[in-house]
Amino acid sequence: MGVEPKKIIEVKNVRKIYRMGNEKIYAVDDISFDIYEGEFCCLLGSSGSGKSTLLNLMAGIEKLTSGQIIMKGQPIHKMNETRLARFRQKYLGFVFQSYNLIGTMTALENVELPLVFKRTPKKKRKTMAKEMLVKVGLKNRLQHKPKEMSGGQQQRVGIARAFVAKPSIVFADEPTGNLDTKTTMEVMNLIREIARDNHQTIVMVTHDQSLAEYADRVIRILDGKVQSIETIKEETNVEEENNGVVGDTADSNCVN
Amino acid sequence: MRISDLIKMGLRNLSRRKARTGLTVLGVIIGTISIVIMVSIGIGMNNSFDKQFMENGAMTVIRIEQYGSIIDDEGNWLGSKEQVLDDNLVDMVRQVDHVKAVAPVLDTSAMLYSGKYETYISLRAIGHEAFAEFGYPELISGAYPTAENNRSVVIPSYVLENYFYNPNSRNYETVAIDPKEDELIFKFNEWRYVRNERKKEFKLDLTNVAIMEESDNWEHNSYVYFDMDYYKEIYTQYANTLKLEDRKKAMAELDTYSYIMINVDNIKNVTQVQEDIEALGYVTYSEMQYLEPLKQTSDMLQMVLGAIGALAMMVSAINIANTMVMSIYERTKEIGIMKVLGCLVKDVKKLFLFEAAMIGLLGGIVGIALSYLASFAINKYGGPLFQTLMQSSGVYDVGDAKFSVIPFWLPFLASGFAMLIGVLAGYFPARRATKISAIEAMKTDS
Repeated sequence: MGVEPKKIIEVKNVRKIYRMGNEKIYAVDDISFDIYEGEFCCLLGSSGSGKSTLLNLMAGIEKLTSGQIIMKGQPIHKMNETRLARFRQKYLGFVFQSYNLIGTMTALENVELPLVFKRTPKKKRKTMAKEMLVKVGLKNRLQHKPKEMSGGQQQRVGIARAFVAKPSIVFADEPTGNLDTKTTMEVMNLIREIARDNHQTIVMVTHDQSLAEYADRVIRILDGKVQSIETIKEETNVEEENNGVVGDTADSNCVN
Repeated sequence: MRISDLIKMGLRNLSRRKARTGLTVLGVIIGTISIVIMVSIGIGMNNSFDKQFMENGAMTVIRIEQYGSIIDDEGNWLGSKEQVLDDNLVDMVRQVDHVKAVAPVLDTSAMLYSGKYETYISLRAIGHEAFAEFGYPELISGAYPTAENNRSVVIPSYVLENYFYNPNSRNYETVAIDPKEDELIFKFNEWRYVRNERKKEFKLDLTNVAIMEESDNWEHNSYVYFDMDYYKEIYTQYANTLKLEDRKKAMAELDTYSYIMINVDNIKNVTQVQEDIEALGYVTYSEMQYLEPLKQTSDMLQMVLGAIGALAMMVSAINIANTMVMSIYERTKEIGIMKVLGCLVKDVKKLFLFEAAMIGLLGGIVGIALSYLASFAINKYGGPLFQTLMQSSGVYDVGDAKFSVIPFWLPFLASGFAMLIGVLAGYFPARRATKISAIEAMKTDS
C-alpha cells in the first residue's frame, strides 16, 4: 500500500437513531473513519453491534440521522433515489449473505442483471457475464438456475454479479454466513483475488473473527461505536498464518 | 433498462405464475366479450331502428293534418282535432324559422280503368315544386309535372303492377298494366256526389303518364299523383257535371286541404318547428315525434347493456389490481435486490405497469376474437330472444336484421380500453412497488 493512500469512502460523525416508542436506539453512534482505495476493509462486530446498519448507510440503502458519508468525493447521504441508483450502477457491487439471486433466472442472467439496469448492450454484457462466471469457476453452470446449485456455487454467482460491472467498491454483507468452512475459504479468497486484480475496494461486514484475517484493515464495532481500527500486516499467505493472527487481534471484545 | 429487457423480464414474471396470470387474463377476456357484445347489440339495434324509420318516411317532414292526432310524450294516441287547412295557414307556416318547403296536399279517392280491369286509387294532388322539394323517388319513364307541363300524372309502378283486377272474375286476381300499351281511364268516385243526368259523365283519358319506381317508403308507393293546378282544373270540370246542390259542396272541397307537408332544413330542428306551429294552434305530426320516445327507450336499453359490459370490465380491473398487489407482495425481496443492484425507480414502475398492461392487452385480444364468435352465434341462433328484446324498444320489423354488429373500430377501441384498464389497475400497485426499500434485499430471512 502506498504512503498516501487515496480515500474512497469517508465516514464522518455518522449517527443512525431508531425510535422505538419513546426510546431512542443509537444503532450507529458518531462513527468516523476512512476507507482507502483498493483496500479490503472488514467491519467486525457481534450481532446488534450496528455493523450492518453502518454498511447500509454507506451503501445509501438507509438514510442516516446525522453526519456525512462521502464516497468517491460525492455525498451519498444527500442523493435522491435516482442518483443513488445511478451511483450504484457505476461504482457499487454487493455480495449478500443469502446470495439474493433471482430464482427464475439462470446464473448467466443473474450476473447480467446489473448490466441490464445499466443499459449495457446485449452482446457486450453477455460476454462480460460469461467471463466473470468463468473467473469464479462456474464455466459449466451458466444455464443453471440457483436452485440447481450448491450454496457455494450460488455465492460464486453472487460474487460474479457483484464484480461484473467493474465497480470501484464492493460491499459484502456476511458473504459466508451460510457456507461451510471449506467453501468459506474458497469464497473469501475469490473475493480477495478479484478485488486485488482490479484494484477494487472491499467493505465486508462480518461477526466471524476468522474472516478478519483476509482483510487489510479491521474496524471493530461495538454498540454503535468504533472500538478499534487495526491494520493487518502485509502478509503473503493468510491461510498459513491463520491461527496466529486471529489469536492476536481478536480478544474477547466481540464475544456477545 | 432497455425496452427489450423490460419486456423480456415482464413476460418472464407473468409466465412464472401461469395459473394466476391465466385466471386474471380470463377475467379481462370475459370483460372484453361482454363490452364488445353489448355494444354490438346496441349498434345492431340502432341499425334496424333507423332502417325501419327510413322505410316509413323522411325524417325531416312535418304534417299538419285535417284531423290532427293528439299524441302524448310517450307516443300514445289521445284523440283527434279537426282543423281548417287553407292557403292562409300555408302562408303562415312559410314564415316559421327553419322551414325549407311547404306543400298543401289534397287527398281523395278515385277510379282507374283499363279495359276490363279497374282499381280504386288514392289520389294525391300537390304543387309540382313539391316533387323535388320533398324528395320523391326517381321515375322509370315520363316526367314529374312542371309549371309548363302540369298535365303529367305520376303513377307508382307498384300500383300498376299490383292493383288492377277484373271485377267480374271469380278470384279478383290482379294484373299488371302497362300505360304505354294499355289505355288508362280516370274517373272520380261515383258514389260521393250525384251527377246531373243531362250532363255527360266526367272521364279523363290518361295519356301523359309518368311511372314512379318502387320505393322503401310505403307512402310513395300507394298514391297516384296529380299537379295541384291541373287537379283543380279537372275537378272543376268534374264538378260541372254534378247536380247543382252537389256542385257547390264538391267545389268547397278545394278550399281546404287534406294536409300540409312541411320540410325542415335539418333533422335537429324538427321538434322546434313543430313547437312553433303548435303555438299557432295547430296539431302537427312527424315521424320524429314517434321516433323520439322510441329512441329514448332504445338509448336506455343500450345504456343498460353498456353498463352490464362496463361492470364486467370493472370486475376484471379489480382482478388485475389484485393480481398485481399479490405479485408485489411475493416479489418484495426481488424488488429490493433489483434496487440494490442499481435498478431505477422508474424502471420498477414501468415493469409493473407493463405486466398489468400485458394482462389487459392479452385479455383484450383473446376477448375480441371470442367476441366475433359470440356475435356470429347471436346472429345465427339468437333470433327468438332478440326479436322480443327489440320489439320492447319499438323495432317490430326485424326481418333479416343483424342483432349484433361489430363495426371495424370496435375491436381497436376494446383492446385499447382493456389495455388502459390494465394500466389504470396496475398504476397504484406499481407505485407501491417503487416504494419498496432496497433494505428488503439486506434482510436475511427467506
